[in-house]
Amino acid sequence: MKSKIREIYSLEQLSGRDTSIHQLHPLIKLITSLGFIIIVVSFGRYSLIPMIPMVFYPTIVMALSETPYGLLLKRCALALPFCLLAGISNLILDTGAAFTLGSLSISLGFFSFLTLLFKAYLSVITVLLLVATTPISDIAGAMKRLKIPDLFITLFEMTYRYIGILMEEASSMALAYRLRSHEQKGIVLNHMGSFVGQLLIRSFDRAERIYQAMKLRGYPASQKGFAEKKASARDILYLIIVLGSSLIFRFLNIPGTMNNFIERFIP
Amino acid sequence: MHMADALLSPAVGLSMGAVSAGAMALSVSKIKKDDLSDKKVPLMAVAGAFVFAAQMINFTIPATGSSGHIGGGMLLAALLGGYPSFLTLSVVLIIQALFFADGGLLALGCNIFNMGVIPCLLVYPLVFKPLMKRGPSYKNLTLASVLSVVIGLQLGALGVVLETTASGVTELPFSAFLMMMQPIHLAIGLVEGVITAAILSFVYSMRPDLIEAELIPSSKPRLSFKKALALLAIATILTGGVLSLYASEHPDGLEWSIERVAGTSELTSDEALHDKMGAIQEKTALMPDYDFAAENNSSIPGTSLAGLIGGGLTFLLAGITGYLLSRFKKRRVNASPLGEN
Repeated sequence: MKSKIREIYSLEQLSGRDTSIHQLHPLIKLITSLGFIIIVVSFGRYSLIPMIPMVFYPTIVMALSETPYGLLLKRCALALPFCLLAGISNLILDTGAAFTLGSLSISLGFFSFLTLLFKAYLSVITVLLLVATTPISDIAGAMKRLKIPDLFITLFEMTYRYIGILMEEASSMALAYRLRSHEQKGIVLNHMGSFVGQLLIRSFDRAERIYQAMKLRGYPASQKGFAEKKASARDILYLIIVLGSSLIFRFLNIPGTMNNFIERFIP
Repeated sequence: MHMADALLSPAVGLSMGAVSAGAMALSVSKIKKDDLSDKKVPLMAVAGAFVFAAQMINFTIPATGSSGHIGGGMLLAALLGGYPSFLTLSVVLIIQALFFADGGLLALGCNIFNMGVIPCLLVYPLVFKPLMKRGPSYKNLTLASVLSVVIGLQLGALGVVLETTASGVTELPFSAFLMMMQPIHLAIGLVEGVITAAILSFVYSMRPDLIEAELIPSSKPRLSFKKALALLAIATILTGGVLSLYASEHPDGLEWSIERVAGTSELTSDEALHDKMGAIQEKTALMPDYDFAAENNSSIPGTSLAGLIGGGLTFLLAGITGYLLSRFKKRRVNASPLGEN
């Protein structure tokens, strides 16, 4: 359980670095990521090959932001099962042959299955990169720019902060439970009510203490904590380059064209 | 139950996002009207964090050896009320999407709708609250919890099926997908409902004030049946409208035509090769959407491999670019005397 707690904040630790990607305007990064995902998702269900150039964006951002590949790929793997499950149906049901590779026939379903997985990879890695290069206070700042109410932003930041604390509490309770129960994995269903209920009561009592502490410090005062950063020309350029190139990849089949070019020389 | 970005079309993702954003704005304004709103915020935040902690606790399901964890939507609704619990769950889902790669940015709208709007704004006021009107006894708590959790999860699973089908990314027929999702979520719902009931009963026996705070002062109904019904109707019309909008759209047709135009305009300069290339272009332009390739199934094996080589090369190129960039960056960091980092 301790490792789980560490895992949560591992991405955030990366966000404190200072690279060219980290320096970009948070709102621009948010818009770029969302735009990129929308373009990725808009590819047709068999467009695996035209979609390949899209891999440039995460790869370049990962390199520029010095984000370790292993950590992100591990997170990506966690997100895949549901897509795998939904995609398997394509494998089974869409059996028309797409093309043949020698004597091997590749089915359309296999193609759409791979396309789906590739889409999943691209969309997940984009979100992870956004978070790994943007501190949570900057994300909150971007939300403020989007005119999201203060109440919601405060809620977002506070919830995130308290996850670690409550997990710590839950893990010490679980340790105590394990010590009292002999070689038993997990918590017996019968004990779930009192166990989680206990955690809940402790949490609510904590909330009461937090509220009192906040009140003593002058809450609710209007919050002006966010640095009002203006988007520079560089930020806008980043947005135009990423989304522009993605749109070009979306509508021009670059690998296909490359292939034609090669075929011209190797008949 | 989390939808992923890859399973959605932009139209479905964005319109569900708009619906959920509307529900969130409504909830914020409702909470602000509440006199105790500033007290609610830390409570909601801790409750949201509590969901993460509670999901970390795995319980063993007797006689099966498998384990699971709770979702917590109805639990929060019972303790915080409809609107606050909905906002709390939205925040939980946003954090899950951002930091845990659970769900996705574009899929947030769908996830907030399936797991937030449905349990907190529909099932809670329409099922849970009426059942609790007779006072918070253990019997009522159990009945209300199990029933609302089951209904909430069934509707949520239905939402997943509808959104996936409308997006048209998978081949799964609607009915088969439905037959797969609903029974699984019935089982999950029953287990979660029982646990939710047990937790609420425990909290009620230890600290009745926490449960009563939300359920007893319901002298003025927060959301009347009529209003809830109207809300449901609006949601139905909205989703229905979006679905039909999508049905008449053929983005692939657009893609296909642009592809062709762009593809054939590529090689006009070379007159001699033009005719020969034109034939190959025809075939390769077919490739992005393999539907077409399938129609003339007897396509020549060699040429129909189009794009594979180009695709592989692109991958390689991207990899090399990334590798070179990180090498370059590392060298620069090492070169700087203090190695600031």
